[in-house]
Amino acid sequence: MARLEIDDVTKEYRSGESSVVAVQDIAVEVPDGDFLVLVGPSGCGKSTTLRMIAGLEEITEGEIRLGGRTINDVSAQERDIAMVFQSYALYPHKTVRSNMSFGLEESTELSDSAIAETVEETAAMMGIEDLLDRKPGELSGGQQQRVALGRAIVRDPDVFLMDEPLSNLDAKLRAEMRTELQHLQEQLDVTTVYVTHDQTEAMTMGDRIAVLDEGELQQVGTPLECYHEPNNLFVASFIGEPSMNFFDGTLENDALVTDYFEYPLSQESRRDLESGGDLVLGIRPEDARIGDAQQSDRRFEAEVLVVEPMGNENIIHLQFDGMAVDDEFVVTTEGVPNVSAGDRVGVEFPEPAIHLFDGAGGDAIKNRDLSFTGTPDAVLP
Amino acid sequence: MGRIQFDHLTKQFGETVAVEDLTFDIEDSEFLVLVGPSGCGKSTTLRMLAGLETPTSGDLYIADEHMNYRVPQNRDIAMVFQDYALYPHMTIRENIRFGLEEEPGYTEAERDERVEDVAETLGIDDLLDRKPGELSGGQQQRVALGRAIVRDPEVFLMDEPLANLDAKLRTQMRTELQRLQEELDVTTVYVTHNQTEAMTMGDRIAVLNDGRLQQVGEPLELYHAPENQFVAGFIGEPMMNFLHGDRSEEGFVGEYIEYPFDERLERAVGDAADLVLGIRPEAIDVRHAGESASQSLGPHEFRMTVTVTETHGDQNVVTLTHAEDEASHDTIRAVTDGMHIVNAGESVIVTVEPDAVHVFDGETGEALCNRRLETARELTI
Amino acid sequence: MSQSTSDTNIDVASVVEDVNLRRIGHYTIVILFLGFFLLPLITGIMTALKTSTAVANTLPFMPPLGDGFTLANLEYAFNRLSYAFVNSLLMAIPATIINVLLASMAAFGLTMVRWRGQMGILVLFLIGIFVPYQAVLVPLARFWNNIFPIADMLEPVFSVVPLIQGYHSALVPLIITHVAYGIPICMLLFRSYYQSLPNSLVEAAKIDGASITKIYRRIILPISKPMFGVVFIYQFTQIYNEFLFSFTLVTSANSSEAPITLIIPTIGTSTSGIDFGIRMAAAFLAALPTIILYVAFAEQFAKGLETESA
Repeated sequence: MARLEIDDVTKEYRSGESSVVAVQDIAVEVPDGDFLVLVGPSGCGKSTTLRMIAGLEEITEGEIRLGGRTINDVSAQERDIAMVFQSYALYPHKTVRSNMSFGLEESTELSDSAIAETVEETAAMMGIEDLLDRKPGELSGGQQQRVALGRAIVRDPDVFLMDEPLSNLDAKLRAEMRTELQHLQEQLDVTTVYVTHDQTEAMTMGDRIAVLDEGELQQVGTPLECYHEPNNLFVASFIGEPSMNFFDGTLENDALVTDYFEYPLSQESRRDLESGGDLVLGIRPEDARIGDAQQSDRRFEAEVLVVEPMGNENIIHLQFDGMAVDDEFVVTTEGVPNVSAGDRVGVEFPEPAIHLFDGAGGDAIKNRDLSFTGTPDAVLP
Repeated sequence: MGRIQFDHLTKQFGETVAVEDLTFDIEDSEFLVLVGPSGCGKSTTLRMLAGLETPTSGDLYIADEHMNYRVPQNRDIAMVFQDYALYPHMTIRENIRFGLEEEPGYTEAERDERVEDVAETLGIDDLLDRKPGELSGGQQQRVALGRAIVRDPEVFLMDEPLANLDAKLRTQMRTELQRLQEELDVTTVYVTHNQTEAMTMGDRIAVLNDGRLQQVGEPLELYHAPENQFVAGFIGEPMMNFLHGDRSEEGFVGEYIEYPFDERLERAVGDAADLVLGIRPEAIDVRHAGESASQSLGPHEFRMTVTVTETHGDQNVVTLTHAEDEASHDTIRAVTDGMHIVNAGESVIVTVEPDAVHVFDGETGEALCNRRLETARELTI
Repeated sequence: MSQSTSDTNIDVASVVEDVNLRRIGHYTIVILFLGFFLLPLITGIMTALKTSTAVANTLPFMPPLGDGFTLANLEYAFNRLSYAFVNSLLMAIPATIINVLLASMAAFGLTMVRWRGQMGILVLFLIGIFVPYQAVLVPLARFWNNIFPIADMLEPVFSVVPLIQGYHSALVPLIITHVAYGIPICMLLFRSYYQSLPNSLVEAAKIDGASITKIYRRIILPISKPMFGVVFIYQFTQIYNEFLFSFTLVTSANSSEAPITLIIPTIGTSTSGIDFGIRMAAAFLAALPTIILYVAFAEQFAKGLETESA
């Protein structure tokens, strides 16, 4: 158990004259027992960050501290960590049992019988006790995944590091393992850093999410913070599936004028804004409404391109007149779809649900209003 | 025309039956998705269509011609592979042109022109002189499609073509592929294990399991009116909840709950003894239990405890367990609105309307009664 | 489907026609090649079993008939070669084992461990492959005979060790030379195999707390078993069949430590002419160990090549 601090860490790959900065000044703290998800598109530096924590990459600048101790110069063998790899990296020639016991044999002074006992206990917890004498090659993807997790858990480390551990599983199994992994982490209460490019995993699993892009930290926060109160355009577009819709425009008097519509902004929304400034209007697909009866000046006519029925919801692709051929926006609706391709419909963007971003820098200017139901006094956690 | 007929088609590998007695038709220019878990026989079916496997018995017709023994090159089909199978030593132009070189009736100039046309349709005209190794996954995917399209075949066969793309790109390519197919109007058979792709892309879906056809139908038909428990469980994410139990005087009795039937359910179920209740996660209403535990509950309301909440932003997936036995692994999942938050550990009241309930026969898995659907609301602009 | 039956007939007919023409062509070519490869072998074996008269009077690849058949050639060759067999194996087996082990360690160090200056070392290894044997023969002979006469130094030790003779110490310089010359190419074979292994295996072991030597011994060594098979067979054949170093360091076919390759060229020759029966019998016997090795490890060999190309 330990608190993990990543303090202004930079990683630079130098080869001769040129150098590539993979990670720039990242600072995140993971409290003891917390589940942090590092998320971002490929090449954003999330794996490099994880590998620096593991001791598989050297740190160019900054410090990583584990339980208060600086571990920059501690070798991977000496750090008390366990890692689950995307490819599982199970030793193919060893049985599941010896795969799991290897780490204990190498890193602890435990007796053989104590090791055997720990392995069996962990295997029972992971539901792989029947597989102990098989080799990895004989196991299914899901079983291998469990063994890889078991191998990490059995060592009872200070920190778990996980590098896209679910990406090789099929969709059903992934959803299942997601809940299970989350449950397991809560039970074990071990500090965990989890790397993924999948925003669904980030949203559903993490206590907190750190969003990275091009080696720089964009935002650290709870999943709902990142979803409802993104710091900038990147976070807003990366988190959420289908993505938030964006419309470029300029503020003219009391309205946001885009190529397709004029959106009247209330006094409150445009309080801090200068007339003539470039803005981006953002709205999540589930917040836009299609075809309500009442008239509104925040409703605009669009054409339905494609309707994707998912059963529980429908993803509707639409286009405003004058949009480029491959440009579109997306609205999700519930229940049985009541529009079809080719229909012309009215789409309303309710003002409490819109986000406004600075057109130049992409920083968030106004995030949506929030009102939660359910749990009494629900606020953004 | 590209109509495909399967007539009692069976394929055995030694003792193993991969596909058993498959009979159904695919209409001309239809987009049919073959879906099922791995090992269900969907790929074998596609490979028989392509001529890469010979059927053991039964007949296969494409455009009313008997195809069982015809070699692939004489079938007028094009196939897109999961790993794209681009020729690494050829430029994109040569890759796309390759399939055309065996095709009679083109002059050299016409071939070149055709390649350019196709590249333009797919937006890869800038890449024609690059090699596959220099392209991103999404671009390679497009080239693979281009290679199929350029031959203007009767039938497209696609074997999990989106499986290697990341989530964002997959969603994008999904719509694009769908639009392309509509534009080209070519019969398409698409194999996937991903139910989201099946739901959103197919005109119709054929669900396979253990080599047997479970159901063929439109996406929403499969979602709302599954013929058996397998289809109900496979289609939909998160999965439909199943409660096992028996028929009682009033309705259904499970280990933890009693669910009285209304008239509609009563009539449809008859006197079948062994029952499985199926409830879609979005059909479950979850509300906070409030202070008083003694609150009286309606016949279709139950007291439950939240174990895990997965926040997706636009929705929350809530895992619930029975209030009396919280350690039970017998959980159900509900989906709530993104703004409706319940936390792990809370006590909640769950409502399931009888109209939204599916009932399956516990022994055969056959659907006895499917949910009632409200008719589509009228749309006004 | 009213036309289904006729359709089936047309298809089957065209398939059969297709197959016949092609198959005939294929088989003709296969038989030609088979003859081309097998004829020398058959000729060798048949000649070994014939008397001198039969060799002179019958076609080389025809089997010996009646009086023409004899085992005397094989018997003679076996007697003449028996001690040379021991010499060859005493040299080839330890040389191969040491060679393959060192090469695998070197490959591990040059692919899966990162350290400063490894590129330079790798280049040195690669240069080693391209130094021609002939260029080093004279310095090699001088080194082992005058500068560091390890054979003479070890002779007293070897003469007291049971099962081997004092003169076997002359094989030690040969063994060391073969090991040194064999490592670069074997290292390259292992290296290409190790490069195909996922790097995460080593990383996982590191995080499990294993040291570099532990990782090699407990993870990499067991995983590379199929590759060991391939490299072992390849290198054993190379060393066993090698002539130039033996000729330089041992010099005479009449020395008691002469390996088999030194004796083969002289056997069956005399002032009265060449006895082809004896020569062929000796060649056949000399080839036996490598043939046995290939047959015994054929499966492992194929598997190793497979893993390498995969």
